[in-house]
Amino acid sequence: MDELKATYIQEAQELLENLESSLLVLEDNPSDHSNIEQVFRVMHTLKGNSSMFGLSVIAEFVHDLETIYDKIRQSKMDLSKGILNCTLAALDHLKLIIFDSDLQEAGNKENHYRLISEIRLYADGGNESTPFQMNSSEVEDRSMGTYFIHFEPNSDFLLNGSNPLLLINELAELGPSYVVPHFKTVEDLSTFDPTSCIASWDILVETDASMDAIKDVFIFAEDDARIDIHKFMLTGIIQNEQFLAKAKASHLRPEHLVLEEIIEIAASIPVEENEEKEQLVDVQAAAPVSKKSIEKEKAISSIRVSSDKLDELMNLVSELVTTQASLSLFSENNTSAELEVISENIEKLSRRLRDISFGMTLVQINNMFARFQRLVRDMSDMLGKEVVFITEGGETELDKTIIETLTDPLMHIIRNSMDHGIEKADVREQKGKPRQGMVKLKAYYSGISVFIQIIDDGKGIDVRKVREKAISKGFMREEDELSDKEIFDFIFYPGFSTAEVVTDVSGRGVGMDVVKRNITDLKGTISVESKPDHGTTLTIKLPLSLSIIDGLLVDISGVKYVIPLSVVRKCYEVKNEDMLKNFNKLLLLDERQVPYINLRQEFEYEVAMEGNSQLIVVSDGDQEVGISVDFIVGEYQAVVKPISKYYRNQDFVSGATILGDGSIALVIDTHKIVELYTKHVKMEGKL
Amino acid sequence: MKTEDGNELLIGQTKSFLSFKLDSEHFAIPVMKIMEILEVPKITKVPQAPVFLVGVINLRGAVLPVIDTRVKFGMTPIDFTINTCILVVNITFNDEEIMVGALVDFVSEVFDYDERKIKPSPTIVTKYRSDYIEGMIQEDDHFMMVLNIDKVFSLNDLESIVETKIEKTEELL
Repeated sequence: MDELKATYIQEAQELLENLESSLLVLEDNPSDHSNIEQVFRVMHTLKGNSSMFGLSVIAEFVHDLETIYDKIRQSKMDLSKGILNCTLAALDHLKLIIFDSDLQEAGNKENHYRLISEIRLYADGGNESTPFQMNSSEVEDRSMGTYFIHFEPNSDFLLNGSNPLLLINELAELGPSYVVPHFKTVEDLSTFDPTSCIASWDILVETDASMDAIKDVFIFAEDDARIDIHKFMLTGIIQNEQFLAKAKASHLRPEHLVLEEIIEIAASIPVEENEEKEQLVDVQAAAPVSKKSIEKEKAISSIRVSSDKLDELMNLVSELVTTQASLSLFSENNTSAELEVISENIEKLSRRLRDISFGMTLVQINNMFARFQRLVRDMSDMLGKEVVFITEGGETELDKTIIETLTDPLMHIIRNSMDHGIEKADVREQKGKPRQGMVKLKAYYSGISVFIQIIDDGKGIDVRKVREKAISKGFMREEDELSDKEIFDFIFYPGFSTAEVVTDVSGRGVGMDVVKRNITDLKGTISVESKPDHGTTLTIKLPLSLSIIDGLLVDISGVKYVIPLSVVRKCYEVKNEDMLKNFNKLLLLDERQVPYINLRQEFEYEVAMEGNSQLIVVSDGDQEVGISVDFIVGEYQAVVKPISKYYRNQDFVSGATILGDGSIALVIDTHKIVELYTKHVKMEGKL
Repeated sequence: MKTEDGNELLIGQTKSFLSFKLDSEHFAIPVMKIMEILEVPKITKVPQAPVFLVGVINLRGAVLPVIDTRVKFGMTPIDFTINTCILVVNITFNDEEIMVGALVDFVSEVFDYDERKIKPSPTIVTKYRSDYIEGMIQEDDHFMMVLNIDKVFSLNDLESIVETKIEKTEELL
């Protein structure tokens, strides 16, 4: 059951997210009918799921919400700002109570009943700000009526363990009913599949239940069957013997009963009271409820796969890539032409397989955007600022784990931009800017990295203020000459906050330092640019993926290392002597002085004066550092595997990769190497 | 099978053990804990790691850390001979299963032994840390130490070793 519950929660969360984005679109375009349908459909599914799991509290809650949108959908009610606000609040509440379906938390309970009463108020149209005409049929919905239901299960209906008779019994409980079964003819008994469902039913039922109640009977069958429901009479007619006799007569033939026919029969019945004839509902107006919705088509275009399976697939593909590398190596050393062809084909195939399975773990950044849209909306209300949120490049894809980790930092940055960046409307007007501020989230690819920018057109960051603050916090000295960029970087120092008043919205102790740490954990970098009164731009640079990287395979004292190609700038050959007899640890390369790290020394291998080393200049943030290795083997596509926890103190090794010959190469994190080296130099400096 | 405290060992009946040698001393580990025994492949050393962490090997595509068990027991580092083996063991640390390779000089045999006959380790501990030893098995003329490998290869010791290393360098400075 716990596993089922987890599935329910996961699905519910997805539905709620879906709902949220639809609602936000709806806010900008309240008359968008397809979105209202979408909102209604999602609610309906959520209700169904909830009641299936016996979570009646949630199901009832959603049902009330659904009622509002059902009315909007049928144009019996207009969508107002109040309704949207209430729905969004309800949405937030639902996000909580899917975990607390018994309302055990007092806060949830209180909220629940407050929201329910609010929702019911809207549902009943009791809000004076949203005048709407109550359609007369609304009242009739609860009154007596006769329904014609055509229920035709798909042939695989029984395979799901569903029993169509139970559904019919359930219908029969609603009131007096008249059921006509039909069977498809079996063409050939030898090919007939006895598990397929060949039966279908026409049901007439006389009840005071609403259309919804009848639909609810079929709630779990709607995807697996054709169900047409029509209310054709506003009175009961089944107990009328004349009608029954006529209906029966027309049923003796094997064909299906047609709705029009039934109506005809009903109309032909002599009416005792004269109004009764008028009570035949116009079929066209009653809009047949065909359950073949767009939802079904959507479901086929994508399937849900558990992320565990994807991870496993990625592991297998990684292993395949590794095995393929050893096959290539083997075929190179053998002179068989045939083997070479096979090996090359396998290489092609495994590369394609890698790309495809790789693509599957990627998620569009769009998925995050809805949440931010909501954040901006709520915050602009709260802060009394007018802000428009623009997104660009939502189709940019990133590894799902990166997206998950990225959400919180981005939230924080957007919050900051709105709180500290964007000015109030009148202030903006004085400055000659449009009243409405803008926060833009832009994502794009560049090389093997993904860039995400958060751009606002607010007041910008005052360099002098940051500088003063940095001095007062002891991050720099008064006499230090730093570039603006370097000064802005202090924003990411722990304990730094420029806002004079710590507001409720941002700056609750967790600051930009946490943001930076999160991004560094993802092997990304973050930088700020800002112009007073023009706004601020934060740029986050992220690797496309963490598990397979392009690297430079190098050799140090017989041990192989991989340096990520993304940081490599240029390679030089240097004399070992020049490196060892060098006091300021700077080498002149291309007329520039470049600091360097002798990895042989750093890794405690023995060093020799004679001979040459290769110096790989890598970029670390905005500086460049040379790293010396014995020789460069070549480019290598490395499947990065985690290195055991035993080596957690050697964090300059970010992982290991298996080479074609089965041996292991260590993947170096150059940033950590530089950090380590600077620490060492500092310690030496102290002596 | 839990072997975390010695008492539980007494409840069972016969149990399979694998015996091996470090230098001239005999040790035993419950077979349940051992995944496989490997010949020594090419080991890749990770720079700046504690001495007992010999390096990493490729275990069918996974990266497996290898520990010099002799160094763990305060002996001289292992001398690679034809008899040197890697025992791939599964240890539990903080409810997490971790695979690790243990270098040993010589793998002797697998034998069944009545758990009730395992003697508690002497309280006045000899040269090894008492929490490493779960009990003693007497075989003919020699004793065999039954190891608690969860403790022997625990990641906690990693920290303490690193700390002492730092302390040492500071002393040197």
